Amino acid sequence: MRFDLSILWPHLPFLWKGAVLSAEVCLLAIIGSVVLGALVAIARTSSAKPLRWLALAYVDLFRNVPFLVQLFFFYYGLPELGIYIDAFTTGVIALSIAGGAFASDAIRSGILAIEPGIIEAAEVSGLSRRVIFTRIVLPIALRTAIRPLGAVLVNMILTSSILSAITLNELTGSGRIVASDTFRPFEVYAVLLVFYAALTYAVSIAVNLLHVRLNRGISQDVA
Amino acid sequence: MRYSSFTPYDIVLLLQGLGVSVGLFLATSLIGLLLGTVWAVIRYYRVPGLWQLMSFLAELLKNSPVLVQLFLVFFGFPAFFRVNMTPVEAATLTLSLNTAAFVYVIAVSAVESVGRDQIEAARVFGLSRWQVLRHVIGPQASAFAVGPLVALLVNQLQVTSLISVIGVVDLTKVGNILNLRTLKPFIVWTVVGLLYYAAAKLIAMLGTRLENRLRAHSAWKGL
Repeated sequence: MRFDLSILWPHLPFLWKGAVLSAEVCLLAIIGSVVLGALVAIARTSSAKPLRWLALAYVDLFRNVPFLVQLFFFYYGLPELGIYIDAFTTGVIALSIAGGAFASDAIRSGILAIEPGIIEAAEVSGLSRRVIFTRIVLPIALRTAIRPLGAVLVNMILTSSILSAITLNELTGSGRIVASDTFRPFEVYAVLLVFYAALTYAVSIAVNLLHVRLNRGISQDVA
Repeated sequence: MRYSSFTPYDIVLLLQGLGVSVGLFLATSLIGLLLGTVWAVIRYYRVPGLWQLMSFLAELLKNSPVLVQLFLVFFGFPAFFRVNMTPVEAATLTLSLNTAAFVYVIAVSAVESVGRDQIEAARVFGLSRWQVLRHVIGPQASAFAVGPLVALLVNQLQVTSLISVIGVVDLTKVGNILNLRTLKPFIVWTVVGLLYYAAAKLIAMLGTRLENRLRAHSAWKGL
């Protein structure tokens, strides 16, 4: 069989719609996981032992169970509790929770990398613990964590393809439909493969630029 | 259709699924480790033409969703190359190549972690290139690489759950079957998740023991 990409031409708008859906899911989920990750990172660096233990258990559990199993757990489990939500919301929630476990590690190492002197200076200045955390610790930690958080985002783009397993027609799901419509699975999936690779490559370059931009003025061994 | 409750035979079914998952994981990891190391050696000797191709292929495999790779091999290859492919064959091929791509990256950075001066010193002492690889680079690089490799293997175990989508009856597929039969998603997916968790912890534990042994020569022994 000849490798012929032109048969995909009429299906491009459909694939594009899938790509937009993927982007929406990833955008919402990365926001969700950074918020969740920041909360968990706070818990993991707190002085209360039960809180630390709980946060560690969450991270450990969600990092060591396959995402597909987590996804099925939510997708089939939530209706059992009487919560009926669509595949899109389920996907965003599952991705946020799984991504939060990875994001929390990135933010936690950002928090631990802060010089104690900065925090001591803030304490001496009479700032409350809350203000120290929200105004000093978190901004610095998030800024130094941009690069690892970018890795989390790249991983999330790749992981979002799994959402096609719960009937969400994002890019991979649309690709499946186009493949079965045209009977040209090789071309479709080859294009998807290259597209995902190019996309994640572009995202990681953008994240690197952002990291350098936000961390200018900080010595290189910290940033 | 009548929904039935759990039977004792379900335990056998779950263990069978776990066996398929772990078996495929072990087989693909072994092939991936060998293949990835061969790629790294090709790069180390800078085989003209071949090593650029290897780098490109590794980047492509690393930066695209495993699910799309699986679909490309399982649906695309039979249609395009007119070959027959069972789900297990497609899964083995895809996961091996995917593992190899990550192993390649780890192996390359491990080789680079050994200082140039050591290699030069060894060459000056009259060791052949093979002897340098075997006695100087090999031991140090493997001690360096074992940590990232264990993290990779834990991750690859979770990736095996995706093969259920193309119809391999692994642990996740068994979970799916039980879920549809009993309609008790919480119990089913919790049990499946815990089995994956236990397997991941086992790999991590074995990895730590191996790492400690490989690093024994450089460990601080006291005065």
